[in-house]
Amino acid sequence: MNTSTYLSLLSPECCLLAGACLVWLVGVSRSAGIRASMAGLTLAVVAVAMFLAWRCPSPEAAAVMPGIRMTSLSEFVRWATLIVGALLLLANWRVPADREQGEYFGMMLCSMAGVSLTACSNDLIVLFFALELVSVPTYVMVALSRTHVRASESAVKYFFLGALAAAIMAYGFSFLYGVSGSTVLEGGAGQSLAKYFAGDASWGPFALIGLVLAFSGLAFKVAAAPFHAYAADVYEGAASPLTAFLGFIPKLAGFTALIKLMAVCGWPAADGVSAPLMWMLWVVAALTMTVGNVLALLQHNVKRMLAYSSIAHSGYMLVGILVGPMWGTGPMRDGVAAVLFYIVVYGVMNLGAFAVLSNLSIKGEPAETLDDLAGLSRRAPLSAFAMAVCAFSLMGFPPTAGFIGKVYLFSGAFAAGETSLIVLAVIGVLNSAIGAAYYLKIASACYVREPVAEQSRTGGLTQSFVLAVCSLAMFCLFLRPNDLVRQARSATESVRTAGQASIARVDRGAVGIQPIAPSDDQEHAG
Amino acid sequence: MADWIPNILTLMTLSPLLGIFFLMLIDARDHKRLRLMAMVTSLATFALAIVAAVDFSRAADAADRWDAFHLKSTTAWLGDSVGGVVDIAYRVGVDGISLSLVLLTAFLMPLVVWGSFSSIRERVREYFILLLLLEVGMLGVFCALDLFLFYVCFEFTLVPLYFIIGIWGGPQRRKAANKFFIYTLTGSVLMFAAILFLAHHAYVTNGIGVFTLDILKLTAMGQQYLIPYNVQWWLFLAFAAGFAIKVPFFPVHTWLPLAHTEAPTAGSVILAGVLLKLGTYGFLRLSLPILPDASVRFAPMMATLAVIGIIYGALCAWVQTDVKKLVAYSSVSHLGFCMLGMFSMKMAGATGSVLYMLNHGLSTGALFLVIGMVYERYHTREMSRIGGLAKPMPWMAFFLVFFTLSSIGLPGLNGFIGEFLVLLGTAASGTVSDNLSAGRLGFGYAAAAALGIIFGAVYMLLMCRRVLFGPVVEPPGTPDASQGLPPDLNLRERFILAPLAIVCVVLGVWPKPLIETIQPAIMANVFQVKQDLQYAGETDAVAPEVIFAVDAIEAADDNDGERSS
Repeated sequence: MNTSTYLSLLSPECCLLAGACLVWLVGVSRSAGIRASMAGLTLAVVAVAMFLAWRCPSPEAAAVMPGIRMTSLSEFVRWATLIVGALLLLANWRVPADREQGEYFGMMLCSMAGVSLTACSNDLIVLFFALELVSVPTYVMVALSRTHVRASESAVKYFFLGALAAAIMAYGFSFLYGVSGSTVLEGGAGQSLAKYFAGDASWGPFALIGLVLAFSGLAFKVAAAPFHAYAADVYEGAASPLTAFLGFIPKLAGFTALIKLMAVCGWPAADGVSAPLMWMLWVVAALTMTVGNVLALLQHNVKRMLAYSSIAHSGYMLVGILVGPMWGTGPMRDGVAAVLFYIVVYGVMNLGAFAVLSNLSIKGEPAETLDDLAGLSRRAPLSAFAMAVCAFSLMGFPPTAGFIGKVYLFSGAFAAGETSLIVLAVIGVLNSAIGAAYYLKIASACYVREPVAEQSRTGGLTQSFVLAVCSLAMFCLFLRPNDLVRQARSATESVRTAGQASIARVDRGAVGIQPIAPSDDQEHAG
Repeated sequence: MADWIPNILTLMTLSPLLGIFFLMLIDARDHKRLRLMAMVTSLATFALAIVAAVDFSRAADAADRWDAFHLKSTTAWLGDSVGGVVDIAYRVGVDGISLSLVLLTAFLMPLVVWGSFSSIRERVREYFILLLLLEVGMLGVFCALDLFLFYVCFEFTLVPLYFIIGIWGGPQRRKAANKFFIYTLTGSVLMFAAILFLAHHAYVTNGIGVFTLDILKLTAMGQQYLIPYNVQWWLFLAFAAGFAIKVPFFPVHTWLPLAHTEAPTAGSVILAGVLLKLGTYGFLRLSLPILPDASVRFAPMMATLAVIGIIYGALCAWVQTDVKKLVAYSSVSHLGFCMLGMFSMKMAGATGSVLYMLNHGLSTGALFLVIGMVYERYHTREMSRIGGLAKPMPWMAFFLVFFTLSSIGLPGLNGFIGEFLVLLGTAASGTVSDNLSAGRLGFGYAAAAALGIIFGAVYMLLMCRRVLFGPVVEPPGTPDASQGLPPDLNLRERFILAPLAIVCVVLGVWPKPLIETIQPAIMANVFQVKQDLQYAGETDAVAPEVIFAVDAIEAADDNDGERSS
């Protein structure tokens, strides 16, 4: 494997990182005009990365390289990052102060590159670095996003807790390395985690400790209970458009890493051996949805409310992770594809809601509470409409994409045919009803209530554009979800094989260990 | 087979959207043109519904099958193609039952729009947009032949009505709207879970093997004992959670009085006239045919609750002082009859149940309209504060008495036929008739329900006496003429109520065509294949063959001119 192939496969990520350096360098220019136009430069970098991603060799042609394994999953995550990332960038257009634009948008590019690398990584160390590449810039961005003291407070909170989570995750990875003797996830000629877990000697207490610790770190990234506590404070402190960023980018990275790890250690529903892991995830999923929704009910601040709702949505997506990728028992039984579909939809609808908030200000202060939104339909009918669409979509209400997302997530759970998953799906739908109560407050504030405060529009053209795209996307994905679903399905092909491997192992019983991963590589190489 | 207009059902369902588009173009302050536009749109939709009805009868005549679904059309939605492994499609089609409800919806809508001309004076454009959106949702539910589309429309109706109650309602409107929305949603998310399970069950069932929500396929599956009883048991409860709250069924009716009282007149009319029927229609279209064993098993329980609802609703109505609340509780009582009729598992009972849906929509809708007209003049609905209105408002008095009589089931008016058939079916439930095996209800249920009819006459007539007769009582400063309303009903208001009254008389005197449209559909699509059926009596000519295989049903229906796109 020579360096040029390596680089050509990773060209979009390289472009993002190089672009980040460029933005940082140009961002310290002496000319105020140049400093203030960094958002445009960043958009150009993202556009180039999109072009490179389009020209990039397809994952089938790519072989496993040290630390990197290109799969259809990495391609899906890359495109999701770039497209939703571009929208996030547009929404963040005016967030940083003019002289800090370079730092802010450079960090944003780094974070996006990190998500994309997470999906490409095939080594615990690369995975760890990629995840930190996602997180570390977000700490800085939270601090830069507002001059308010709460922004600094939440940045510090976010940093310390994030660092703790990273440490826990790294500790877990060290256990995994310790028991398997390799940091490679799967594939390659040598030892790898996949081979280790496909063996019979696996699942000793240390492997389990390693996985539990690693999942705890990832649970922090996706804001799953009991690692959710930071979300509300951090979301409240950051500027609204950045909050949309925090709700999507780390979550996408976390779920991608979760999918990759599960693919290596065996999907719970397919594999009786990992029952303790499955029950752990089951409890975490049920707890996350319920805690998120119930606490959101108590909020008056829309940003805090949406923070808790973001926790609840992580819970819904964990249902999909538990269901695992498709095999055998039904066409809808593709929990992972459902998660990938849902997370994109979630990113867009969440962005729409926060974009409306960032579009408004009350006496110079950004709009945050339900009272600030009251009577919005009188002053800004289109913003109010977009807010209502996004709220109903977050609620999972037809005719919006959020509803379709829930259909795929929960029908996967039913298709799995296991009572525990059916119970979880019922908990999930009941949670949607709880969720309706507070999303309805948002919609009702916009339309039903009389104006309380004097609202003024602050958003620029880019924000209005983002709003329009988000709310239109909700309807379009409702009417025609098939294309995105197909993409998500093909993205799960690479993780599906791992699931079949663990099924095969269960079928084989305690007899001999077959290395499965190499054949897997040939499939991708060929 | 040649149809006048292809995809007439889709066209009809979506036609209000076109009206909404034009409403958006009109200046929000130009109330006159907004009202005109809304009126034109709802009339156009009604015209399309009539075209659809004529088209339906032509198709039924041509195929000589009045019992089948006609005007069908299908477009792939989720899943790659129609008939693929995942086959969740946009499927529409109507039979006698749904067609009559479609006509009811389309007929009530222009009257409601017209009735709102004077009562809605602010945010007029938003109001009509929401009203028309609501119409799209309701028509969608009745036309849907795919459970997915059904659920989408069923849920979607909540949104416009939520805003209609929440924005234009009475003093407690926000509480009422929230309660209405969340209460109903909680039930229907459970139904949502059941729907997904059902689709998966279709996939694992031999002979279907498709992840589908095609109502016809699911019905065939249910009718052929392909759903185990214990599964049916759970599914029935989950479906009942969704539908019973909507009906509203006795223990879960508590959202209704509040919603009705707080809603603006149009909201109440639509709520009572059509939306409550989504629940009973759901039971009739989905629970009974898809889950036949569980339905039979649960019939006594459902009927007991229905009877309790009938009597409890009537007693509650009796003690109300607010006229609107009184009519709201009477709805609880009346919808109990609907449920009782269909769970008798008899042709007479189910036919009566469908007729009851239509009649209740007409007479209760009309009552709400009359009350709304009184309210616009006196700004109160408290019976202690108004009285003797027959003197200043003779026209209003005529219509109020007329619709009261229709509502309590005076022979010769529409209410009687439905009530009679329901009681007949319930009493005769234990017998074998029409080739339907014996249901599990009996004379006792009918007798108890008949008590409800007596109570009904008592509270409705009491209400009439207190509002219309005796010395004239008017709150100070009323009647309010500030909006240009005369003391009695003006010409517009009389023309709103007159069509309703005419239809009530027609259906009361000559219900035969309606019954003949409904009955074959009930036989074929509700009780269907389970009973090896031969039609008894006058509809003998259209007896279908006994059908056992899913494909055979499909084939038979395809012959009726399915147009797939």
